[in-house]
Amino acid sequence: MGNFGSTSSGRRRHRTQPPQGHGFVAATPPYPSQYPNGPDPNPSQHHQYPSQYPNAPNPNPPQFFQYPGFYPPPPVPGPYPQPYHGGGVYMGPPPANWSPGQLPYGAAPPPPGAPFVEHQKTVTIKNDVNIKKDSLRVEPDEENPGRFLIAFTFDAAAPGSITVMFFAKEDADCNLIATKESLFKSVTVPFEKGLGQKFRQPSGTGIDFSMFEEIGLTKEGDIEVYPLVVKAEAFPLNAGERESDGNSAGNSQITQAVFEKKENGEYKVRVMKQILWVNGMRYELQEIYGIGNAVEGDQNGNDSGKECIICLSEPRDTTVLPCRHMCMCSGCAKVLRFQTNRCPVCRQPVERLLEIKVNNEANSSE
Amino acid sequence: MANSNLPRRIIKETQRLLSEPAPGISASPSEENMRYFNVMILGPAQSPYEGGVFKLELFLPEEYPMAPPKVRFLTKIYHPNIDKLGRICLDILKDKWSPALQIRTVLLSIQALLSAPNPDDPLSENIAKHWKTNEAEAVETAKEWTRLYASGE
Repeated sequence: MGNFGSTSSGRRRHRTQPPQGHGFVAATPPYPSQYPNGPDPNPSQHHQYPSQYPNAPNPNPPQFFQYPGFYPPPPVPGPYPQPYHGGGVYMGPPPANWSPGQLPYGAAPPPPGAPFVEHQKTVTIKNDVNIKKDSLRVEPDEENPGRFLIAFTFDAAAPGSITVMFFAKEDADCNLIATKESLFKSVTVPFEKGLGQKFRQPSGTGIDFSMFEEIGLTKEGDIEVYPLVVKAEAFPLNAGERESDGNSAGNSQITQAVFEKKENGEYKVRVMKQILWVNGMRYELQEIYGIGNAVEGDQNGNDSGKECIICLSEPRDTTVLPCRHMCMCSGCAKVLRFQTNRCPVCRQPVERLLEIKVNNEANSSE
Repeated sequence: MANSNLPRRIIKETQRLLSEPAPGISASPSEENMRYFNVMILGPAQSPYEGGVFKLELFLPEEYPMAPPKVRFLTKIYHPNIDKLGRICLDILKDKWSPALQIRTVLLSIQALLSAPNPDDPLSENIAKHWKTNEAEAVETAKEWTRLYASGE
């Protein structure tokens, strides 16, 4: 009880992904981080509502990311229940701390005017290699007792290399610096193009957690230094094409993680952040709540998991920022702007709306 | 007619309410006005309202879902957050309304309110006072009213 609109699907599913690469969607650059000139006198020019939505489920629910400094960091789970756990929406019977208003029966309080909420569209960029965040783990090295190897699954649309680093710090332009290179050697392994590849650090190059304990660094130590950083770089074959934009280094994805000790004494990996470096731009990947549902569902058109929570009719395509709840269609989002500045799901203030067209053709915007 | 251009949201909600009713709750639209619902909520187990059948009316205003539904108890009930006219003191029906809520969730919330009276934020001052000074007695009164007024017919 108390949940509605829930589906059994998780926030992200792993399926076979299209070989062309991964569709990623970014907020349309380059908006200023604030709107210095006040509300746009003609906001409608930012809106174009798609007359048709792709109905075919996207086999590769994309990840999304934002420009650094564009938005505040993701909300800390605070006074609001974390919604969309596993796709469910928590908006049910009030929790124990609900506080009924004093007003008896009557008109709802007037909405707080029509706030200006920026409405953005997305652009798609392509990333050639993606480490599946949830697959990142440590495995014991059978040949070297006491040592552990980093393992994960990844997809690559082009050949490249994977570098596993320890206690690495991110420098300008997504370059990484290993701060304890003398203790923990970085390991680089090349890979070929292919989907669902399994990576395992070569035997003998693993880490010994007792050393971690000695230096007391299972968590993030210095600012920006992560105990485990995996950099996946792709070097597309059509490199000549890329020379024109002055970027011969290819694209990369950086996964920053910490080690956590489980109750049984074993270690597990927890991913803190994923960063994309594409065409000289740095993007941070963030999950969008509800997007997995938006592209999958049953066939009877009655799946409460993918429809706009306001009209219960159109597919969801608009994400509320900064809370990242993808819960509405663009039409309802437009109406909502004039009623409230709160997210319908979590009631956090809305700073902007991001319209995401989930497109099944990964290369359509290339 | 009001029914001729009923938003799809209301049609869908109605269909789902009828096809998959929430436990202990029934809601059916009036034939004359599809925005008006006759509601019945069963008193929750382990509450003073257990065994009672409570009738309510629910109306979806023109602005719905941007504005909350209007809901009122028709059956007399002894509850600190419900007054003698059946009006309900519940945040989601007022300032905490969100268009993500639905008829179903509103009714589930009301059902939960029956399980968890909140005399600290009363609508009926007298009942709330009773609840705070002598809860056992207030609960007895609520049970008595349930027998008298909510026995089903």
